[in-house]
Amino acid sequence: MTVSATWLIWISTSLILLLSTRNPIYILLTLTSLFLLGGKISLKKEQPNWTKQNLRFLITTIILSTLVNILFAHTGQTLLFILPENWPLIGGSITLESLVYGAVNGLVIGALYLVFNILNLVLSVKQITRLIPNAFRPISIMITISLTFFPSIQRRAREIREAQMIRGNKMKGVSDWLPIIIPLIVTSLENAFMLSESLTARGFYSKSSTNISNLNLIALVFAVFAVFAGWIFRLYNYPVVISVILYSLGIISIIFIFIIAGKQVNVTHYHQEVWHPRDIIFVGLSFIIAGAMIGLIRTDCLSSFIYSPYPNLSFPEISVFGFILSAVPGIPLIFISHD
Amino acid sequence: MVSLILVLCLILLLFETQSSLLDSKLIAFLGVLIAINAGLRFLENALPGPAGVSPIFFLIILTGYFFGSRIGFLMGAMTMFVSGLITGGVGPWLPGQMITAGWLGQSSALLKPLVQGLKWQHKTEEIIALSIFGAIWGILYGVIMNLWFWPFLGTTPGQTWLQSAGLMESIGRYSAYYIATSLVWDITRSIGNILIIGFLSRPMLRIFERFEKRFSFIIVET
Repeated sequence: MTVSATWLIWISTSLILLLSTRNPIYILLTLTSLFLLGGKISLKKEQPNWTKQNLRFLITTIILSTLVNILFAHTGQTLLFILPENWPLIGGSITLESLVYGAVNGLVIGALYLVFNILNLVLSVKQITRLIPNAFRPISIMITISLTFFPSIQRRAREIREAQMIRGNKMKGVSDWLPIIIPLIVTSLENAFMLSESLTARGFYSKSSTNISNLNLIALVFAVFAVFAGWIFRLYNYPVVISVILYSLGIISIIFIFIIAGKQVNVTHYHQEVWHPRDIIFVGLSFIIAGAMIGLIRTDCLSSFIYSPYPNLSFPEISVFGFILSAVPGIPLIFISHD
Repeated sequence: MVSLILVLCLILLLFETQSSLLDSKLIAFLGVLIAINAGLRFLENALPGPAGVSPIFFLIILTGYFFGSRIGFLMGAMTMFVSGLITGGVGPWLPGQMITAGWLGQSSALLKPLVQGLKWQHKTEEIIALSIFGAIWGILYGVIMNLWFWPFLGTTPGQTWLQSAGLMESIGRYSAYYIATSLVWDITRSIGNILIIGFLSRPMLRIFERFEKRFSFIIVET
């Protein structure tokens, strides 16, 4: 799985799963598969501390989220202890239900973070930048310039800082930043000046070549508005059909506008990503799973996905489907061993 | 769904603002400026000062103030994106950060007519106005950034988001959540912004003026 698009599809499926369940057992299972996947990738990328760092982050998130919830939410039946009522904001009863709720929240946040962390681990900055559609050419060029200049700016900042310290700048307050930041900006903007001259000299004067037409912009406004309107109709309990039509109309138009706007730009790509049969199988499999998951949730066949410790703490419901789906984020494990 | 709408709005805004970037001078200028700001985000660990004081807001505010709302928006949004890419911090919080930082830059342009109308250019009042603006945004940034999180996580009764609640009630509930979780941190950021803008904006504006003159060469196609 070396193609960046497959990982985008993976993250979408994982997010659909994580955002639709609050069942702590399923989330724990998902976390396990994510850790297994992340652990394997981090070994390949020679980052042996990855699992330890993320485990530490997960535990901190759970503790913080639990603390915030038990201190501020005073509902629930099983009383643990009581803080004096006259303590502002946190005074009141501390309950077992709010503790569990906080911990489940922590698990979800930790899992969301982990999913994105795996994406950051597996895709290089170059691959992420390439995912920006052609329709955003000026922006992607700007991002490439920033990323290219970043290391030299950091190096220069370090040099200026050292030079200032040799000259006796003790670096104690905000006023001491002045002799670092100003030379840094002046010298870097000199570079920008040279870059813009050489861009112009090489014929990069994009006014004529990438003129974004107003028609595209107006169409995009309407498309985004269609999605927004669909959501508002849904909030006010109008028939689902209206929202589905508006969502599809909006999303299809956005894709269409991007394709048209992207066609107006000539871009040369080096080192094209190659699709292997396993990438295609993974994409097909993900679409089937995501479709099945949405279908099962919509038809209320996955009632075990819903869980709330309020008002009385109970053991979460479990189902076979739920178990299978919770392991879905770990599917790339089968594929990456062949990369 | 809220996240999706947020992403779509961001896409729309970027699509519109990039029309101002169709020129090699501006692309190079802004690209380097963003790299500097992303670099400053790392430098903040190496520089002295209390936690929460960050030099990145000052550059976004000054860019928006000096070069106008489109460039300000791009500067804010792209600083967050590029530093997110560099730190491996691409995540569900990124669109929210990009839009909020973009608004910071965009709204800075509103100060320009005020300063020009009152003839405050190159005077201390200009710096004071910018500092107050920075202080307000120090808090506002936290308020807006918490919003995307709030309906999802603010699970506390009395602080939670309720769909049925009216506007005033929602504001009351949100204030409780905000004061409980972020106020102290945001106040340090505000004070940091005042200090940094106070010390650095005068020489910075002078640099911008100089470079604006140098960058104003015109390319004639023959």
